[in-house]
Amino acid sequence: MTPTSDLDRVTMIVLRYMRRPLFALLFVYSVGIMGMALMPGQVVDGETTNMSLFHAFYFFTYTATTTGFGELPNGFSEEQRLWTIFCLYTGATAWFYAIGSLIRLVQNPHFSQAMDGFRFARKVKQYREPFVILCGFGDTGSLLARGLSDHRMRAVILDSDPERIKALGVRDYSVAMPGLCADTSAPKHLLAAGVEHPACRALVALTNDDDVNLKIAVMARHLNPRLRVICRSTSARHEANLRALDNVTVVDPFEIFAQLLHWAIVRPELHNLNSWFVGARGVKLGVPLEVPRGDWILCGYGRMGHWIHRYLEAQGVGVRIIDPEVDTEEAGDGAVMVQSHADHLALVTAGIENAAGVVAATDRDADNLSTLLSVTELNPQAFRIVRQNRHENQVAFDAARADLVLQHSLTTARRILKLLISPLVQELIEWLAEQEPAQTQGLVARLQVATGTEPPHLWSVRLVPGEAPAVTDYLEAGGVVTLGALCRDARAFPEALPCVALAVRRAGHSIMLPDEECPLDAGDEILFCGIQWVEHMLQATLHNPYTLRYVVTGVDAPRGVLFAWLEERRRRVMGPAAGRAPRPGSRR
Amino acid sequence: MNLERVVFGFFIILTLSLNYAFVVGGVESPAHHNVWILTLTIIANLVAIGLKLGDRSQTGALLLASGLVAGLLLITARVVWIVADPVGGGGPGPGDMADIVSIATGALVANIVATAILVGDTLLSRR
Repeated sequence: MTPTSDLDRVTMIVLRYMRRPLFALLFVYSVGIMGMALMPGQVVDGETTNMSLFHAFYFFTYTATTTGFGELPNGFSEEQRLWTIFCLYTGATAWFYAIGSLIRLVQNPHFSQAMDGFRFARKVKQYREPFVILCGFGDTGSLLARGLSDHRMRAVILDSDPERIKALGVRDYSVAMPGLCADTSAPKHLLAAGVEHPACRALVALTNDDDVNLKIAVMARHLNPRLRVICRSTSARHEANLRALDNVTVVDPFEIFAQLLHWAIVRPELHNLNSWFVGARGVKLGVPLEVPRGDWILCGYGRMGHWIHRYLEAQGVGVRIIDPEVDTEEAGDGAVMVQSHADHLALVTAGIENAAGVVAATDRDADNLSTLLSVTELNPQAFRIVRQNRHENQVAFDAARADLVLQHSLTTARRILKLLISPLVQELIEWLAEQEPAQTQGLVARLQVATGTEPPHLWSVRLVPGEAPAVTDYLEAGGVVTLGALCRDARAFPEALPCVALAVRRAGHSIMLPDEECPLDAGDEILFCGIQWVEHMLQATLHNPYTLRYVVTGVDAPRGVLFAWLEERRRRVMGPAAGRAPRPGSRR
Repeated sequence: MNLERVVFGFFIILTLSLNYAFVVGGVESPAHHNVWILTLTIIANLVAIGLKLGDRSQTGALLLASGLVAGLLLITARVVWIVADPVGGGGPGPGDMADIVSIATGALVANIVATAILVGDTLLSRR
């Protein structure tokens, strides 16, 4: 048996549905046309005329479709008129039957599903630009799609819920994002979505079901071992499974949430920098949250609560836990556990009046919001961090004026976006987390000088002939380009452009916060942060050999052959001391 | 200030000015158009092309292209003049004169493009 494609299925369904109506039409047409040709026509010059077969076909065509041009080409005899009545009724009925069948076919769910699948696969196959496959279009998926659209990166979306795919249809993305409603873990659909497509950059498994995510990751690994897979997982068992596969990145939304939360509490300057990089609302660089020291009250001790507890405990922050299902026996010595909902009484029992802050992190938004109200009443000084579960409750959380709102679908989407668009940024943040806070503060000060109050613009440059031809030629000719020289402003030599090189990725390892003297190699990837227009200025330096030579040496080299010759002559007369930098265009 | 830019700018703008000086006037009357101006335009244009040889930047390539277009058209106009000019002077007839002037007007457009690129590039680099 040969495998069937979507196109085969579509053809098969059309044929099955249309067979009978087509036969009915054929029969009615044949009878009508032959009858018309046989009917005796008007008597001309004593001889009975007959309609030719072609004229009969012509007549039947306009009669059966109820167009009715009249009696063409000649007037009809009474016999012919009788036959016309027969033709009209049978022909029109056959057509209605055929059209009805066609409409039923279009409404057939199997047909429209097969059609959707076929169109989707064809669209994906024609892609030339890089794209990402997104399995699961829930809160996180739609936020991620929005982020990808902001970066003009295409995504192909699979979701098993037809409502979500309908929701996708009404989004206004800056790039086309085709969606298919299908079982996301079926290899057939993964293939249709372009798992084996050469332009496919990554597959992101974001469904709410960990089993499905695992299945998608495993299928994708088998179908295309080189493809990068990012997989959402919240269970330890699956995570262990997934981490064993190479090229698979596991993203645990609860862990990311807890990590961000513990940065906010323990490393406010790093949290501030990270939020500024991802463009969180209302975040100013260099104005970190002022988080009080002391014990924290954690409301909700589920999967997320455990992660938060683990992170905070590792940093030596005291945590008091309130949860209706917590096992008070489980607590170690010194830990306060309250087995209750986080209401007035429970907060008082947990010692709200001397707590530094409260983390309302249950999986119910209403509970979290009501906890906030109680905390405001009992201890207005307490720092309030709240977990927002559903994106649609945004307005209520805005109105609650908590000190920090963390939405785990948003934090997860941002993390994945960073991994997809600029993995170096995440590497940098994680590197900074391991360093002393002074390192982060130093970077923040440099970024403040470079960007002022502008929002950050992050971009990366690879020193390859396609992206930076001037630099690769210069390096090939034996020149030395340092990072500081590359970032000089060609309009105001030797001042630097307002940008900061955050990291250099070279042959598999990364140099974080490289200094100005760092010499560059061909093939390096450099991550910059600055203002939008700086990227264009830097582009000019990377592409124009004369601008590059100018920013490196400070000498405006002659461009034409004539002046180059004059310069060469002058130099020979002056002595061989001048001229160490290679001239643009001279390759060794 | 860069001497090369001064020299190149001088020749590009000189070509444009001379080209305009030749084209301006009645299309069909030989008395309005001076063959010496046309010849000088060609020379200035050829110098400008020569100065751009060897430039590897994008704007350099575009300037070279527009210079070549202008040169081609101007030389065509000059050849038409030689062919149409009857021995003994008096200038070409009205029909031939119209051809010469319209071809030179085409060259004027190419020269305007070249000047615009030069000015734009200089303003953008702002140094």
